[in-house]
Amino acid sequence: MSKVCDVIVVGCGVIGAAITYYLSASGMEVVAVEENDVGSGTSSRCDGNVLVIDKKPGFDCELALKSQELFETLEDDISFDVEYRQLGSVLAVETEAQAEGAAQWHSAMSRSGVRVKYIESSDVHAHEPMLAQDIVGLFECASDSSLNPMNLVYGYVLAAQNNGAVIKTRTKAKRLLLDTQHHIKGVETSEGTILAPLVVISAGVWTPQIVRTCGVDVPIVPRKGHIIVSERTFKVASRKIQEFGYIMAKFGEEGQRDVEPEMEKYGIAMVFEPTPHENFLIGSSREFAGFDTTCNMEVVSLMAKRAIRFFPCIEDVRVIRTYAGLRPYTQDHRPIISKVDQVPGLYIASGHEGDGIGLAPITGLLVSEMLLGCTPSVPLEPLSLNRFM
Amino acid sequence: MDDDLIVCRCEEVTVGDVKRAIEQGAFDVSGVKRRTRAGMGQCQGRTCETLIRGILASELSKRPDEFRLDTVRPPLSPVTFKTLAGGYDE
Repeated sequence: MSKVCDVIVVGCGVIGAAITYYLSASGMEVVAVEENDVGSGTSSRCDGNVLVIDKKPGFDCELALKSQELFETLEDDISFDVEYRQLGSVLAVETEAQAEGAAQWHSAMSRSGVRVKYIESSDVHAHEPMLAQDIVGLFECASDSSLNPMNLVYGYVLAAQNNGAVIKTRTKAKRLLLDTQHHIKGVETSEGTILAPLVVISAGVWTPQIVRTCGVDVPIVPRKGHIIVSERTFKVASRKIQEFGYIMAKFGEEGQRDVEPEMEKYGIAMVFEPTPHENFLIGSSREFAGFDTTCNMEVVSLMAKRAIRFFPCIEDVRVIRTYAGLRPYTQDHRPIISKVDQVPGLYIASGHEGDGIGLAPITGLLVSEMLLGCTPSVPLEPLSLNRFM
Repeated sequence: MDDDLIVCRCEEVTVGDVKRAIEQGAFDVSGVKRRTRAGMGQCQGRTCETLIRGILASELSKRPDEFRLDTVRPPLSPVTFKTLAGGYDE
């Protein structure tokens, strides 16, 4: 038996959940299929960032700022507590040379409409008393926030179900189905065939394998990242703190920090995130290791060392868990939110790397605007699949 | 079992919380954990995982052994950041 609906969403992590919510809110009949449980892949192996400070000046900042705006009313919109906390975020600068090198970045951010304030060395410890004594400055972005990524997924899913969306978990999308005109006509799943004139693929690192079933290549590769979870402990800091070098590690610019080669090899940069549960998360690392999510203890050890360099006070705090997830990486660190020219009716919303949580609302909104033929909230060209052709 | 009964002491999760998670779509130990935080605390589910399997079994009319335990992740017992960082140097 085939089921018919307006649109099928393949993959129900945070991106698929946001899309399902936006499409169902616009009155469309949506069926979302998810191989395992909602939010059980990348969305539950990450941290909960809604950041602008770590985006490239220009379009990427515009996209992130729009998403932040949507977060401000989100908990009311979906009637769900996602532990949203707009406490701002901070980049810690290690040396005067790094501070000078940051001047150009700082003015480019201002031109992109991102308010970043520099805090001089004399004031650093008044703001963040637990930071190492030699930290020379802080860049502060007041609009940045944190949330609980799993609650975000469940909040979107429950709101979408209230709108009438059907979410089918433990349902694997096996193959995309095309008609004789090469238009999309549905999805063959492990639980039967579902027919719809529109299909959105939001399966993150697993998007290429499903889109390949209709002969189209999507240039997304898994990039592995580790996170360390501390026990409940004293207050180390109350907001997100990252090393300025994180920006460089994220964009693959090496050699600008005074660190061991192993740190560069694994793209290790300190990211500290407090949770509302009195513990904190430590990131971050980057590796191309296929689909392997086992923890590499060499990497975890280096991350712990890097975290102590910025917060010596955590030396005796205990680690209760480490985990690794797969971020959907694209070459220009920008998601693909796009129609697929070769297959009318087929859309892709994947490749957010480490920004899927923060960009979920704007992604859901853009997909609904594309499918309904409305004017998009931001230009779609920089997000198109065609940019890689 | 009384809904107010605590299942996970570390994160103060009750029987009622676990039942609600199952009602909202959780079908395994990991799904309950992601929805309630049960098993995310200091002891990493050493006590509550077995209890949660029992609740899953009774709510979903299955046998407890049909539910796999959550993925074991290092460290197996809590270690300090100092120990973890030093492990690489030596």
